[in-house]
Amino acid sequence: MMGVLEALEASGISTWVRESRSLFAFPMVLTLHTFGLAVIVGVNAVIDLRLLGFGTHIPLKSLKMLFPIMWGGFIVNALSGSLLLARAATTVGISGVFWTKMVLIALSMWVLMRIKRRVFDDESADARPIPNDARVLAYASILLWAGAITAGRLMAYIGPTRPEALIGLLVK
Amino acid sequence: MNLPHWHLLLNHVPTVGFGVGVALFLLALAAREQPLQRESLRIIVLAALVSIPVYLTGVSAGRLIEGLEGVSAIRIRIHADAALLAFVVMELTGGVAWLALWQARRFTRARPGTLAAVALLAVASFGLMARAAYIGGLIRHPEVISAEDTAPIETAWLTNASVKSLVLNTTSVWPAAETIHFVGLALSFGIVLVLNLRILGVMKSVAFADLHRLMPWGLMGVGVNLVSGMMFFIAIPEQYDTNVAFQWKMLLFLLTGVNLLYFTSAEDPWTTGAGVDASIGAKAFAASTIALWAGVVFFGRMLPYIGGSF
Repeated sequence: MMGVLEALEASGISTWVRESRSLFAFPMVLTLHTFGLAVIVGVNAVIDLRLLGFGTHIPLKSLKMLFPIMWGGFIVNALSGSLLLARAATTVGISGVFWTKMVLIALSMWVLMRIKRRVFDDESADARPIPNDARVLAYASILLWAGAITAGRLMAYIGPTRPEALIGLLVK
Repeated sequence: MNLPHWHLLLNHVPTVGFGVGVALFLLALAAREQPLQRESLRIIVLAALVSIPVYLTGVSAGRLIEGLEGVSAIRIRIHADAALLAFVVMELTGGVAWLALWQARRFTRARPGTLAAVALLAVASFGLMARAAYIGGLIRHPEVISAEDTAPIETAWLTNASVKSLVLNTTSVWPAAETIHFVGLALSFGIVLVLNLRILGVMKSVAFADLHRLMPWGLMGVGVNLVSGMMFFIAIPEQYDTNVAFQWKMLLFLLTGVNLLYFTSAEDPWTTGAGVDASIGAKAFAASTIALWAGVVFFGRMLPYIGGSF
């Protein structure tokens, strides 16, 4: 595992992201990651809010068009995130906060797909009230994304070599 | 023009400009004049927005003139604390005034409770702003100082120093505020994107009036970010105010206020019904809103890398 991470960190593009002084290297990759986050989480929040009863006049069918936009955000973040991981693979790759973030993103995406199947793939969804399990999924979606953002932000404050710092942060 | 110049120029907006807005608002309430009421609410929202750079440049101005001869450092501190209190109430007023505008569009009239809240908060803001301005005037105008002015006014529960110490001395506050800042960013950006993409022609089958319902959530994201963002600024102002990326971020953010007022109550977007193509004017506003918000996010994230003050 460590061998793979070391090779990743030593690769050309990883070195460029890490060591280039250009604004297009690390700063731009980080900024793209922020845009991707805003698109996928923000647009997903709109869908969650609609399922939870805000903007009930918005036809569910029309919101189906938001899914490709969210996928766009996801792809941007998968790519920019891969670069950010490669840049410091030997430290980020063994960080508990990083893996927590990965799990939370996977769960968020799984919930989003469940929402799509339950509500948006159902042609008659607009004719019926929002099913209860879809509302539960909407709440879960908001909580999971908030958790993923929290873990992502904490990566900037908690070094991978000091997992106990998380506890220190909470207790202090 | 340097930052203190901007402070001296802009500080008339939350005092004189806002005062005019409040007077018109109270007049409109008394005369039951709906159009005048909406105009005055717009003035109040804009004054609350302009109060942001007034506060930010004031912190810089204070730091830059602190050491000058004839300048009282204590009075600067008292002015800054009075201004912080006035600023907080002013932003609340702006938020509730925006809500009244949103309701006026949505339900033809703003709810009486919202209007009453605007009236109370606006009068309080004006009083607090006038007090902050008066103390501010004393910093460089010794000729108007009277005996009681030398007695310090203490508002110990909310001061620049108390905010600074909370943010810097409690380890978890900064990361927590950063996290909240990113959640607020995602919420407001997502709603901005969906509303403006509709105007540009994506999801044409939705009437804009139906998406209008989501606007308070977007505003909530902005409000949360104003609070968390101000915590960073008050904690380490010198890291931000002379940073060119921060200045751009603030300029673009303030410009989004015009777009916000447009989409809150203008006729064009509101009447863009299901399946209807929006007007060219509305599309221009929508494209500029997305561009402005993208700029705010861009310069915000690039803060540590442009300008080099971090």
